[in-house]
Amino acid sequence: MYVLGCLNRGTSDEALERVVDRVVDRLSREGRVGVVRYDATIADGTQESLTIGGDVTYGLGADGDWTASGTGMSVADALEALSTDCEYAVVVGVPRLRYPTLVVGDPSETDENVLATVSGPADLEEDSLVEALEAEEPYETLESLVARVKRSPRADRAGAIATFTGRVRARDDPDDARTEYLEFEKYEGVAEERMAALERDLEAREGVFDVELYHRTGVVGDGEDIVFVVVLAGHREEAFRTVEDGINRLKDEVPLFKKEVTVEDEFWVHERT
Amino acid sequence: MTEWKLFADLAERAGDKRVAVEAGAGDTVGDALEDLLEDRPELEDRVLEDGELRSQINVLRNGTNVLVEEQGLETDLEADDELALFPPVSGG
Repeated sequence: MYVLGCLNRGTSDEALERVVDRVVDRLSREGRVGVVRYDATIADGTQESLTIGGDVTYGLGADGDWTASGTGMSVADALEALSTDCEYAVVVGVPRLRYPTLVVGDPSETDENVLATVSGPADLEEDSLVEALEAEEPYETLESLVARVKRSPRADRAGAIATFTGRVRARDDPDDARTEYLEFEKYEGVAEERMAALERDLEAREGVFDVELYHRTGVVGDGEDIVFVVVLAGHREEAFRTVEDGINRLKDEVPLFKKEVTVEDEFWVHERT
Repeated sequence: MTEWKLFADLAERAGDKRVAVEAGAGDTVGDALEDLLEDRPELEDRVLEDGELRSQINVLRNGTNVLVEEQGLETDLEADDELALFPPVSGG
């Protein structure tokens, strides 16, 4: 799933909405689109609710149409929920996103990762926006990768899915200085080639039907997920074996470099091991 | 002209992530390395030991490890090659 932020920077809400409409419309021609809107006026009691009480409400209608309301959902939670069946997500009105952003108006100096700037729908170059968005890193979760292998054309022969999730460990020992975040640098182009070659290699094994590898780059905070290996296989034995070999070979073969930042120190991990 | 891409602490020691050097078609990877290390003593200390490449340092030419799949530093350069120099990888 590709995530695109949309921000209003000094223009009218109407101009922003017209741009968002155009963007969502254009992306819908490529695949399923999820939209996440931040609206501070949504608060306890202000939204029409189908039932009184209850923390989450789904209203189901004909042909699978639905509405929902609830409490306790963050932007990250919303994206995670969309990631299993949407190809695109558009996030409206959330500054400082870690995803590429379309600015309507004039970008402020603090806006990072600006993909394009437009003053209104007329100067939106839709095709080049889609192209630029798809050149960015896609958003993946363990669930989105599992959903993908389940859609594999060979899934009818698969009795097993095994997965590995690597995450940021705050400390290895109770006395360790707490790790705040890791920062990964990637050899752009070559890392992707190596990962794709590794996937093909593992998929060539007897009884292994699909392999998905994903590794985040940039800053990954304490407790967040870094890397996923997902294997779709005929039986559990080859699924487990391939997950283990997959993560070991990814760590050995893919040009990624990890800097660790703790509350006390900052260092390249390869210089300490 | 050949471009080096440098990663992790090697880029920090070189003061740059990309360095263009004179060596080109007809020269070798070793010539390009010599151009890179000239005037970069801190990087030289990090990648060479007694004039030899340290065993943990990787050299890639257009994505291929020259030390494993080609003729090491004797590998001939072609026009517009992309070379990469990096320490042990540490993903995951």
